This record gives sequence, structure tokens and C-alpha cells, in this order.
Amino acid sequence: MIRSQSPIVHISVRAATPLAAVAGIYLFFAGHNQPGGGFAAGLVLGAVVILRSVAGLRTPDDATVLVATGMAIIVAVAAAPLVWGDLLLDQKVVSLELPLFGKIKSGSALLFDAGVVAVVIGLIVSLLNGLAPAEFSPESPGDETST
Amino acid sequence: MIELVFAIHVVGLVGAAIAGRRSIQGALRVAAIAPAATTIWAAESLLSGREPVSASMTWVEQLDLELIFLADSFALMMTLLVSGIGALVFVYASGYFAVDARGSIRFPVTLLGFSVSMLGLVLAESVWTVFIFWEFTSITSFLLVGHKLSDPSAQQAAWRALMITGAGGLSLLAGLLVLTDDVGSVLLADIAGSQTASPLAAVLVLIAVGTKSAQLPFHSWLPGAMAAPTPVSAYLHSATMVKAGVVVMAVLGGAFVDSQTWQWLGLIVGAATTLWGGFVALRQRDLKLILAYGTISQLGLLVTLLAVGTSKAVFAALSIVVAHALFKSALFLVVGEIDIRTGTRNLDELAGLHRSMPVAFVVAVLAGVSMAGIPPLLGFAAKEAAVEAVLKLSGIEQVVAFIGIVGGSVLTVAYTFRMLAGLSRSPEDGRTITALAFRPAMAIPSIIVAGLGLVGFVLLGTINGIVTPAATELNAGSAVYELLRWPGATTALMVSAAVVLVGSTIGAAIHRSETATVLGEPEPVAARVSDASIDGVLRLSRRVTARVQHGSLPVYLLTMSATVVIAAAAFLPAVSVTHLEWAETPVQLVLGLAIAAAAAAGVQVRTRLGAALTLGAVGVAMSGLFILQGAPDLALTQLLVETIVVVGFVTGLGHLARTFPPVTQGWLSVRLGVAVMCGLGVVGALAASSAQPSGSFPAADLLRESVETGGGNNIVNVILTDMRALDTLGEVVVLAVVAVGVIALARTSRSPGRAQ
Repeated sequence: MIRSQSPIVHISVRAATPLAAVAGIYLFFAGHNQPGGGFAAGLVLGAVVILRSVAGLRTPDDATVLVATGMAIIVAVAAAPLVWGDLLLDQKVVSLELPLFGKIKSGSALLFDAGVVAVVIGLIVSLLNGLAPAEFSPESPGDETST
Repeated sequence: MIELVFAIHVVGLVGAAIAGRRSIQGALRVAAIAPAATTIWAAESLLSGREPVSASMTWVEQLDLELIFLADSFALMMTLLVSGIGALVFVYASGYFAVDARGSIRFPVTLLGFSVSMLGLVLAESVWTVFIFWEFTSITSFLLVGHKLSDPSAQQAAWRALMITGAGGLSLLAGLLVLTDDVGSVLLADIAGSQTASPLAAVLVLIAVGTKSAQLPFHSWLPGAMAAPTPVSAYLHSATMVKAGVVVMAVLGGAFVDSQTWQWLGLIVGAATTLWGGFVALRQRDLKLILAYGTISQLGLLVTLLAVGTSKAVFAALSIVVAHALFKSALFLVVGEIDIRTGTRNLDELAGLHRSMPVAFVVAVLAGVSMAGIPPLLGFAAKEAAVEAVLKLSGIEQVVAFIGIVGGSVLTVAYTFRMLAGLSRSPEDGRTITALAFRPAMAIPSIIVAGLGLVGFVLLGTINGIVTPAATELNAGSAVYELLRWPGATTALMVSAAVVLVGSTIGAAIHRSETATVLGEPEPVAARVSDASIDGVLRLSRRVTARVQHGSLPVYLLTMSATVVIAAAAFLPAVSVTHLEWAETPVQLVLGLAIAAAAAAGVQVRTRLGAALTLGAVGVAMSGLFILQGAPDLALTQLLVETIVVVGFVTGLGHLARTFPPVTQGWLSVRLGVAVMCGLGVVGALAASSAQPSGSFPAADLLRESVETGGGNNIVNVILTDMRALDTLGEVVVLAVVAVGVIALARTSRSPGRAQ
């Protein structure tokens, strides 16, 4: 709908997608030491999904898979410490010396956050699929390549 | 060892689920392994006379909540019955179900789940362990009774069973709370030895026992539960479900030895149930219902004996538990076989069964004779013990117990006689019953349990070796008693002889007058009352729900806001005006004004899109305030959420009209008033809380801890993912639940046949 009415919106959303995705991924990794984190990253990526949907571009359509994956990761990270006798949700911190990146310090919290991202995106996709008017759904699969 | 028993059952559950993909028969055979192994363990432990093994597992350390199990003689005796009959029932069920039966995973897994719940109940040594497994048996039996999903009467019976036993579970919970409070311990051994129980605890526990063991007036679920597949009836109503109440009464009985309430309530209810059950059983034509009401009668007998609580009575009760488990399971199994092979359970249509199904008939006679308490079967020895226990009493107690037990026995003999006579009478018009082919998987289990009634009488020493220690566990005085093969010409024997004589006369009289149908089908009054009360509760809840969940969003919002106002009112006196400042920087003032202006515009604006945008403006200005206060994380999140919400609004608005529906001026002012009050209330509550800071500022500690344990410099995120990760986990679960809810709603509204 919008696609036919406004090619500008359509093209700019397409162009903005990778940028916004990078911003989301940046927030995800920055969260450890600076503002950001899984929830924020999920919201940014979720906003990308909504914008793409409004512009009539292809979006992930199976919220169930996203939510289930996210919950599986979170529960696994939460319960894993129990296996080796630590407390529920106990964190493991790992320091690594990587080429190019230098010293990296991170922990199982990062995985936990990844689960949060998946659940947040899943929620947004489910809201979108559940509530958005039918005309927002992409006209045909493989839309993106035809433009 | 006990851990291993449970582990085997868990493996059995998984195995049955896997095997069930191919066929229900395979699943049932796999499921039989765990109870069979448990039976061998219990028998071996009993015969070796080893020290009882125990097991415990901490559940919630802070609440001193532990799962404690102890395999003492009583527990092992019950284990033998629960698992032994369980294993046979699984084998039997593999013959009962047609080869292509559907629901092939559900049935074996639920039945094994029920079996392990019952096992947990009998092995439990702390009251909370008892309670948990008690509830498990309620839930799994609900699933089993309602197994036939397409049968509305089975569904209704399942609900009735769940409602009644569920209510009993609440009563048990309350009773156990009172009891543990009185005694100060959660261990059954301590409670049974305390004798300090209050009448309140006695009443509550007896109500629970009454619901589970189908005592008047809670019995109505049991006959209804006959809608379940026969293997389930055989298992639930011989050795397990209905015995759960008896087990709890037995193990807690020690605490109530001196309680008049316990004795009299139990005695009267038990005696009344015995007589009533026996009387109704006489009037039934459906074999399964005869057995069902017979079970109610026998349970009344057990409750009577346990309420009396003397050492002899406890011993007699346990003897009857064993004998009843054997003969009643045999009878149910045989009735199921008759049902499957002839297609009917109606006594009128089964004349001449002894010709067409001789094996089944012999099993029915063996078990029936044991049920009637006639030698040479185990039922006789057990019945003798009960009569002797009653003769040892004195006063009114003896009279009530005597009427209950002797009257119940007469009726038992009568309905047994009538049933067996009905099966062996020659058909009037010379037609024979056409029975399907003999099924070994069904016949052999029933032969085994019925045969055990005979073998048990012959090898009475072995039975004594099991029952006497078990009774001693409950009442130390029971150690001196044993079951006798032939008591000699005692008063008890005279009483028994009279019982058999009178009972068979009544049974014969009813049998002869059968064609005249003197006694019609009894009115299921209790069932109707309990159904009506269940319906009433449902209707009431529907009405309340309709009133509370009216579906009007503005009214929901109004209710919530008004609640906030009321909650905030309590804080208002604490506000100190001197403490408050207008602003720390002029920018705050500007942002505050912007928020107020946007909010005011939001109230005025007529289009939905405009309202969404003004709300967004409020949020964005708010995140500006967060930045000024040095909370970039909060600001970032706020900004992102606002973005998503506005975009979401815009996508969603496509469904709605452009402008708001018109409202009356009065309603608008109510809404405005509540909104303003709500805003003021929140401001007031925050001002009050900031006026009274308590403790030191936590930031320094958090910063240190964040770097040390979380390995991150962003305190907010370390709090979210590490220090308070449990909260985050909870919040993420909420998000997931919302997502699932939205998906479900969207599917419902889009499914065909429903208006959008």
C-alpha cells in the first residue's frame, strides 16, 4: 500500500534497515559497559521490523519461533549453573584476547541478553501480526528482490 | 533405594511415551515394568526384615520444606498393593484396549503417573510430602476418569471427582496446618506419637478422608467414576485412590487417639456409609455399579475401624485393606473382561455366564466368596478380625460399630449372593450369551489376584508377617494379633455365621423377586446435589466474571487509576513541603512544562493519531528528564519504547475510526477527574518517599559489586542480567506470555466461522 504510494519511504526503509540493525547490535554489545543491552537492542530491531512491515517489506513472520528460542536460551543460561552446583542464574565471566578487538571481557550474561533480544522481537512480531491491518502484510514473498 | 524406585518410574514414563508411538499395548507393557520392579523390591524388603530405608530431598531450604520418604512396614505393605496390583492392571489393560486404540500415549503415561503419585503418598513421611502426592492423585485420577474425551458423562464424572477431591485437598491442607502447628513437627512419626491434636484438625482431616475415600455425603464421585475404562476402575477403587484417604487416616490416627470428635465423627460417618453403600449396591443391575457401591460400603467399614482406633481395630482395618485390594481388583478385572467379551455389564442380560465364560465365572466366585467373608478365603480371616475388634469394645461405641460392621457385612453377603446367583442362573428362553474369544492378557491378572485370596488364606503366616508389623507401626498394641484360619467356636464365629445366613437369605429373596423388579434404580440424589453445587459455583463465577470483566477499556483504566489514587492516599501525610524544590536546573522546568503541555493537548485532541503523537511527546520529554538526572540507560529505553509505542499505535489505528467516539460531558469529567487525581497521587507518593530516605545510598556498593561479580561497568545492565537476573527472568517470562496471548488471540479472531 505504502509501497505504491511512496517509493521514498519504501526505499529509505530498505536502506535504513542494515544501519538500524548495526545500531541494534551495537547496543547489544555495548550494554555491558555503556547504555544499551538486550532490551534496548530488541526494541531497535523490533522497530526495524515494524518499519519494514509498514513499508511492505519482508519481515519475520513466525513470532512463536522467536519467543520459543529466546525463552529456551534464557532458561538454559539460568539453569546451567545448577548443573555444576552453583546458584540459579550465577554468572560466568570470561576474558579473551582476540586479534583486532583486543581484550574482550564478557560473560554468560551476554547469552542471557541474546535471549531477551529474541523474546522482545518475538513479542513485537506477534503484536504486528496479530494487530496490524491486513494491508501491511507483504504483497508477495520475495518482494525485496523484485524492486 | 527409594530414589531408585522413583527413578525407575520416571524412566518408565519416558519409555511408555516412546513405546506409545507404535502401539498402546507396547506402552502398557513397558509401563508395567516399573511397578513390577517396585513390587519385587517391597516384597524382598518385607521378607528380609531389614531396617527401613529412607530418603529425603530439600525442596525449599528457607521454609524447611523437604520431601521425606520412609519405607517402614506399613509403607511397604501399601507399596506391595499399589505396585503389585498396578503391574497386573497394566498387563490387563494391554488386553482391554483394542489394538488400534487412540490416545495411546496418554493412557499409559497418566496411569503410571497416578501409580507413582500413589506410591509417593504411601511412602511419604512428612505431612507436606503426603499433601503433594495426595493432590497428584486427585489430578491424575481426574485425567483417568475423564479418559474418554468424547463421552460427556465421563467428562462430568471427572469434573465431579476433581471438585470433590479437590475440595477435600484444601481441607487436608488446612487440617495439616492446624496439626503441625499443634504438634510442632512435620514428621508423621512425631505427629502420630503426639496425641495433642485439636478437634478442628480432626474434623478437617476427616473431611479430606471422606472426600477421597467416598464417605457420605461426599461419595457421589465414585459411582460416576465408573465411566472410566475398567482397568482404571479396578486400580483406583481397589488398592489406590480410595485407599488414599484410609492411608492418611491410618498414619495420622495416632494423633487422634484421645479425640472424641475424631472417634465419633469417623464412627458415625463410617457406619452410615457402610450400610448405605451396601443397601444401594443391592439395588444396582450394572455389575460395575454393584462393585462401586460395594467399594463405598467397604471403605465405610475401614473408616469405622480406624476411627475406633484400638489396636485390634487397626489390625483388622489393615487386614481388610489387603483382602479388599485383592478381591475387589479381581472382581473389577473380571467385570471388565465380561464387558469386553459380551458387550454388556447388565446383570439381567448375563444369565448363564458360567457356561459361556467358565474361567471368568470361577474368578468371580472366588473373589465374591472372599468379599462375603466366607472361608476358605482371605476375606473371611479379615472379617473375623473386624468382628472381634468390635466385640472388644463397650458402650454406645460398640453398638454403633456393631451395627455398621455387622449390618454392612450382611448387606455385602446379600449383594454378592445376588450378583453370583444372577450370573449362574439359567437363561429363561434358553438363549446363550455369545462371548468373544478368550483373552489371556485380561484373564491372567484377574486369576492371579483372585487366586491370591485363596493362597493368602492357605499361607496365612506370610500375610500375618506383612500385616502385623504394618499394624504395629501404626499402633504398638497390634503386635500380638494375627489372622486365624479357624478361630474355633467363638462369639465372633457365631456372628459371622449369622451374617452369612441372613445375608444369603436376603440375597436369595431379591434374586427371586428380580423379575418383578421390586426394587427400581435408586435416585442418584447425592450426585445431583453435587452436580448442582458445581454448576452453581460455575454460574456464580460466570456472573462475577461478566460483571468484573465487562470488556470496556475506559472503565478498566478508570478502575486501575482510581485504585492508584486510593493506594497513594496513604502516603500523602508524609509529604514535607519544605523538602521540595521546583527544579534543579532551568532545563528541567522547560521539560516539565513541555510534558504538561503535551498532556493537556492529548486531552483536547479529537483524532486518535493526534492522541498517539501527544503521548509520544510526553514520553520523549520524559526521557530528556532522565538524561538530566544522569540515567542514560533509562532515557534510552524510554525513548525506544516511546518510538515503538507510537509506531505501534500508527499501525494499529488502521483498524479504528479516525476520531474518538463521542462521550457525554459527565462521563468525560469523571474520567478527567480520576486522571488528574491519579497524577497528583503519584506525584504525592513520590514526594513522600523522597522526603524520608532511609539507609545509605546504595550506588557505591552497587558500583563495586558490579565490576567485581558482573564484570561490567554499566551498573544498570549488570543489575538486570546478574544481580537481579531473577527479576529479569520473570519479566521476560511475562513478555513471552503476552506474545503467546497475542498469537492465540490473533488466531482465534482469524479462524473461519468467527466474526472479526
